This record gives sequence, structure tokens and C-alpha cells, in this order.
Amino acid sequence: MKEVLIKAVDAAQKFGAEYVEVRFEKLLKTMLTLKEGRVEAAKQGIENGAALRVLVKGAWGFASVGILNTETLTSAVLDACKMAKVASSRLKAPINLVKTKAVEDKVVVKSLKDPSKIPVEDKISMALTMNNIILGYDNRVKSCTVDYLDLIGTNYFLSSEGTYIEQEKLYVLSRITATAIEAGIFTFSREEIGSTSGYEIFDVETPEIVGEKVAKRAVEQLKAKSPKGGTYPAVLGPNVVGVFVHEAFGHLAEADLTLSGSILLSKLGKKIASDVVTFYDDGTINGAFGSSKYDEEGIPTQKTLLVKDGIVAGLMHSRETAHKFNTTPTGNMRAESFRVEPIIRMRNTFMEPKDHSFEELVSDIRFGYYLKSFRGGQANLDGTFQVGIQEAYEIVNGEVGEPVRNASISGNTLETLLKVDAAGKDFRLWPGRCGKGQTAFVCDGGPHVRIKEVLVGGSA
Amino acid sequence: MVAVPKQEDMLSLVEEAVGFASKNGADEAEAYLYQGLTTNVSIERGQIARSSRIIDQGLGVRVIVNKAVGFSYTNMLENKAIVEETILKALSFAKASKRDENWHSLPAGRPSASVEGTYDGNVVELRSEDLVKLASEMLDAAENKDKRVFPIEGGVGASHLSHAIANSSGVANFDQGTIIECNLAAIGQEKGEVTPVCFEFNAERSCSINPQWVGDEAARLAISALGAKKVETKATTVIFTQFALQQLLYFTLINAVKADYVQRNQSAFKGRIGEKVASENVTIYDDGLCRGGLRTWKFDGEGVPQQKTVIIEKGVLCNFIYDDYTAKKEGRDSTGNATRAGYLSTPNVEATNFHLMAGNKSPEELISEMGEGLIVYYLQGAHSSNPASGEFSVVATPAWKIRNGEVTYATRGAMLTGNVFHVLKNISALANNERKVGQLIAPWVLVRNVKVIGK
Repeated sequence: MKEVLIKAVDAAQKFGAEYVEVRFEKLLKTMLTLKEGRVEAAKQGIENGAALRVLVKGAWGFASVGILNTETLTSAVLDACKMAKVASSRLKAPINLVKTKAVEDKVVVKSLKDPSKIPVEDKISMALTMNNIILGYDNRVKSCTVDYLDLIGTNYFLSSEGTYIEQEKLYVLSRITATAIEAGIFTFSREEIGSTSGYEIFDVETPEIVGEKVAKRAVEQLKAKSPKGGTYPAVLGPNVVGVFVHEAFGHLAEADLTLSGSILLSKLGKKIASDVVTFYDDGTINGAFGSSKYDEEGIPTQKTLLVKDGIVAGLMHSRETAHKFNTTPTGNMRAESFRVEPIIRMRNTFMEPKDHSFEELVSDIRFGYYLKSFRGGQANLDGTFQVGIQEAYEIVNGEVGEPVRNASISGNTLETLLKVDAAGKDFRLWPGRCGKGQTAFVCDGGPHVRIKEVLVGGSA
Repeated sequence: MVAVPKQEDMLSLVEEAVGFASKNGADEAEAYLYQGLTTNVSIERGQIARSSRIIDQGLGVRVIVNKAVGFSYTNMLENKAIVEETILKALSFAKASKRDENWHSLPAGRPSASVEGTYDGNVVELRSEDLVKLASEMLDAAENKDKRVFPIEGGVGASHLSHAIANSSGVANFDQGTIIECNLAAIGQEKGEVTPVCFEFNAERSCSINPQWVGDEAARLAISALGAKKVETKATTVIFTQFALQQLLYFTLINAVKADYVQRNQSAFKGRIGEKVASENVTIYDDGLCRGGLRTWKFDGEGVPQQKTVIIEKGVLCNFIYDDYTAKKEGRDSTGNATRAGYLSTPNVEATNFHLMAGNKSPEELISEMGEGLIVYYLQGAHSSNPASGEFSVVATPAWKIRNGEVTYATRGAMLTGNVFHVLKNISALANNERKVGQLIAPWVLVRNVKVIGK
């Protein structure tokens, strides 16, 4: 393996590349989709491929091929070099990489239950159990989809600077959705399970626990009312706090987006949030969905402080952006597969818990909303965020009241972070998938959090 | 560049795979081969900074054993042993899976449809030098517009896609096509103010993109998005441009007309064929044959010829879209709407070119006619809509206030909430400026009575 990669790196260096990296990936996937208990197909994928990235005259060249032999790789890497050279013709500011230490390592995944050793029949039966619990929960639950994916593989990374890493990877993931119908009202409920530890995640997130949660939410939403649109105090659950930290703040702190004009660029070292706000991105949490020992530039992952007591303390960096900011890379360069270049991505992003109980957070609110679980979120460089909510309740006179359907919250990140006035002592991380052109597996989370006021969009 | 694959080589590979599966115990078998060659030149933060070439090819095999479906794919086509192992894996997965009593059969072979404007040899010939030139034209157009414009990312890409499919019921088809695309995202910056991302793009099947227009338009939007103000909470008239409309419909209406959503009780349209579901001026086709359409192909992901299907005619719901499985469940023919994510997935029901027919008003007439309201270019958070009910609660950004029939200032943080099925009924006019955005072909639409939540 290593021999073939070395030849490709040598060929690019002879061409005159300043930097060369070859990433070879081997993957085995098992996938299932069940719709109302019907196994649509039991699926497997075997794939491998190489991603070749070179820096020539200050511009990037990239090639991806699915065939691994010396001839194909060498021709692909030279192709990448030539393309980089062509691209460099219009360069104003050549790209530089910050210097890093060369690493040699071999990373082995240790799981209690290796998904590749579990017969597909068992996975089907687990998904069927989930399905049966959901459809059996209440006759108003009309449909249920269970998607399952496990992926095991190995990445081989070699750079012209002497780094060579063999890193195994493992992901187990399931997405469960259900709809319920009554009197012309449609509700939709979703949960995701994701882990890098192994199939043992289903011993904790059992089909019974997850199935009931999905079905119960779909049914309870049937009697929910639409929120009143307007500005209200709100308590966000850890699941919503997570997506808020990720979408409203996290993307702006990905240094490529910061440089692209995100509102954080002028705020480094400045106070942007209330004192209770401390954010981290951490790639080292054992088993968490966004964890990995090294990133796709061969940089070790780390726990990165992003906001400390309301002050912007750091960003997530590649070697390229670290050079621009005169700092160190943070292990956040990730690629969905060998078909694409690595870009800066979050890993496990969260808010640090504080000291309030849930009751204390809710007790002072005369009228507001408890936003417990999200459906989706999105942010913009100007700091405009939107988080759609799949489970919410009114807060009336200090107590959680009736359920509310299809709410969403929106606002400007910087204005909203200053309005965060208390955080709970609880903490939870939730797995999810983030889209930034490519999909990345991530976690996000935090404690329960109170916001003095936020714009709530109703559907009435 | 890797040699463009030959039709006969691709067809013989899929036919061999079907033969191997049948010989090894498949009741039915289908093989799908895909190859994509893509060259990109990318712009990052105001400069052309990278170029890439991606060669992706692979084989997906679907087999049926005792009415249970197994699927397996690989991209290691140079290794015959692995290809055979892949097919055997699909068989073993089918055997491990559960019988589907509704399984009928794979589609029978039919002649492919004839399509036009989907392949241009000039796209295949483009070198990265040519793409750098196109990207430079786009970048220059944006930067020369105004010094407050910052082009943050974008690029030019050219792709050549080929696919072949065969099955044990007589399907054996090959098709190839080209796509060339340029896009630019820009922001406006002035005195500490940053606008939301303003995006423009142009994708075509032949060498006819206009990068200068894309650069110029992205820059124009970015500049005019400066100085944004908040708006009042009230019901108002809204013009949705094609991007906003695509985002709104993709997660709601398009799902509601898919037969699998209907059959699975996930569509508000179930049992409503023949009913009026939209305003009279709404006519929508799913047109898999539209000349030069971004999703126009001779056949779909199961080898069934693509076709033109009327979905809504003058406001009345006419048809749903089907793949072969959902069609046979109702004893009818597939509408050629099975789509695949290359070789990586089994077919799913998906719209081809979702064509909302244009009206006869110029965009200027539409704006002047509305008097007061918003014109919305993009929506943030459309994917968090309730896919079953059609309810949405999204941010309109960037969007502009229209007053006295003229576009005045950019708005900030306006939320739009409502139900897409009410939106369909409140479409009061359509412009004559249709264009292709993703799977949607549509003009600007004017919608009355949309709830806006502002300050």
C-alpha cells in the first residue's frame, strides 16, 4: 500500500509541487431502509479510492480516482499538478500552509460490537423491532421509515512532509421517522442515532426507547397548537442548544467561512455573548459521532475553545487558514469520501453547562416557549440563523404547558447570544449530520439554556 | 483525461453482471453502471485557487430472490473477482432479507425515449485552461461591479456522465450527457455591515453558460442587500424568485406528488386527484424529456423511458409520479420517475424536471402590479418544513421590500410562515421569466397573503 502512495508523492514532487498528500480509503458499508416494516432492500457497498491533493505555485490541485495502481495514481497526481499550475495563473495571494510536525501512526478502532461481525439478519430484526414499536404505539401513527447504515474502513494518509497515518474508521448510524394523521392534521417526528464506538450503541439507544420516543412525539403533536408569531422568552433543550451552537455560531467560527466575511472576523478576542456562554469544539470525545484521532490533513484532533465567558477565543482551522491567522491547525479538516477535498468542519460542538436546574430556568417566565427538539437549522454569514423545531411547549406562569407544533426560531447570532441569561447544570450531546457541500457526521449539544427573548415563527 | 467509456463496453458489463446473478440464483436481476468525469475550477475569497478532476465509476446490482430484494455496489471494476463478489453479496443479502409480498417484477424492456439537447461534445473537450478563463470572466464581472463586493466562493464545472442499465426482463439501455455549470456566491461589505450570501448560477447541458451575467448578477444582489432594515409583522404579498420557490417546493409539494409518499399516507394529496389544489393559473408538468433539461435523460434509474406527466392542470391535481414498484402496486405504468444517486443507491421516486408553466407578465410588470410587498430570493431553513403537512417557518434572506411598485430596500431577518398548499392556492400571477434551478423550471410567482413575522 505505502509503496504505491510513495511513488505518487515522488512523481508530484518531481513535477515541482510544494506539497503533496495522498489519501487512500477502503470502505465497507451495510445499509437498510425499512418502510412500514417492508425491507426495501438490504444493501452493501464495497468501495475504495484515492484522493490526491497538491500545492503547485501556491494553488491547489486535486484529483480523485477509484483505481489504485501505480500507473493510475501517478497519472492522476500529475493531472492534479498540471491543473494546479493552470489555476495558479490567476492567483493574487499564493496559498501557504503552516508548518506542522510529521506524524507516523496506526490507529485501530476498538469496538465492543464490531458491526461487520453482526449478521445482516440481526440488523434487519433490530430495525423491524423499532418499526413494530412505532407502528404499534397508536393507530394514528401511519408511517414509519427506519434507515440504518454502518461503515467500516481504513484511511491511509501519506504526505510529502513525512506524515504517514493508517487510521481505521467506524460509524454506526440510524435515522428513524414517523408520521401521524388525525382529522386532516399531519405530524412528523424524527430521531437519529450515531456513534463511532460500535453496534453497542443500540444497547443504550434501544429500539424500544427510541421507537417510543419517535411515536409518542408524532402522536402528541396531533393535539398541539400553532405558536403565536413574535418575540418571546424561551428555554432551549440541549438538542436545540446543540443545533443553535452548531448553526448560529459554529459555522461562523470555521475559519474558511470567517475569512469569507462572517461577522466573527471583526470580533476575535471581543465579547459577543453573555458571561454564561462558553463553547467548545472537541474531536477527542470517545465514541462521539464527530470524533477521530487525526483529521484529513494528518493533524491530531483536539478540544478547541471557541468562546470563553462570552469572548471569542478561537476558530477551527486548516493548515491553510492557520497560516493566515498565524496560529495552529485544530484537526477539523474532513472529507466525506475520497471523491472530495477536505474542508473545515465541526466535530462535537457544545456549550458548557452552568448551575441552574430546569425548574429554575422556567420559573420566572410568565409566557414563553420551551423548545425541546429540532427538525433542522441553517445559518448565514451575516449571522442570520433559523432553527426549525419538531417538539415545543408553551411556558405559562413558570410551568411547561401545552404542546406547540411547527415552531421555529430565528434571529441574529450576535444579538441572540447576548440575550442568553442562564444555563442549566445538565448536559447532553446529540449525533447529527451537517451539510456544507459534503455531509459530515457530528455531535452537538449542551445544557438547557434560557434566552431572554427570541423571534418565534408560528405557522398560524 | 480518462477515455470516455464506450457504449458497447458499458452495456456488455451490465449484461454480464445480470447473467452472472441469474446463473447464481437470482429470480430477477438488474445492473446499473455509472461513470462521471468532472473537471472543476474553484474560486475562493476573490481568487481562483484550485482545480480538480474527479473520476467516479461503479456498478450497482439489484437482485430479487423469493420476492426479497438485495443490492450491492462497488467501484472496483478493474477487479473481476470483486465485481463477482459484489453480485454474490447482493444475492446473500436478498436471501437474508424479508419477503415483500407487494414485489411484482422488474420493469420490462421498452424502447428508450428520444431526447434533445442533453449532450455536447464541446463540454467533453473543455480543458482546465478553458474553465479558468470562464471563471475569470465571472470573477471579473463581479469585482468590477463595485469594490464593496466580496466574491466568497464559486467556480465552473464541466461533467460528462454516462450510464448503462440491463435487467433480466429485457432492459438494456445506454445514455450519456453533459452538464456545464458556473456559480458565484458573493457578499456586500460596508462599514462593518455584512450582507447575507447572495448567490447566482447558470447550468446548461451544452456550452452556453453566461459566466459574466452570473458574476454581474451575484454582485448586483450583494450590493443591493446592503442597508437592510427590519419589517413589520403582517400578511403581505410576496414574489418568490426561482431559488426561493425551489427551496420551498423541494421539501413539500414535490414530495406530496410522489406515489410512495401518497401510498404511505405521507401526502396531503392522497385521494385528491381531480380536486382543485392550486389557483387556476398553476399548471405543472414533470417533464423528463424537456429539451436541454438538467434532468432530461432517455430512461430513468430502472431503464424505463422518461416521459412528460401532467401533475397540476389549471389548478386541478391530475397525476402522481411513479417508479415501477409503486406503479405496479396500483396496476399502472411507471411514469419514468425512478432516480439513483449514481451507482451508490437503489432507485427512488423523484421528480425529473418539475416544470411550473410561465405566465405572460414581465418581471417588471409583476413588481409594479403588486404595489407593496416582498421579493424573496432565498429561504433559510426550508429543510425544516413539515414534509407531511406542508407547513413551513423560514427566514427570507436576502429579500427586498417593494413599495409603490418598486424594489426599495433590503429586509433583515423576516420570517415567512404558512402552509405550502395554501401558497399554491394564493398564487395570483406568474412572470414570463422561467429558468432552470435544480430540478425546478419556473418563473417568478406572486403569492397573496403570506404571513411575515418581522420586528
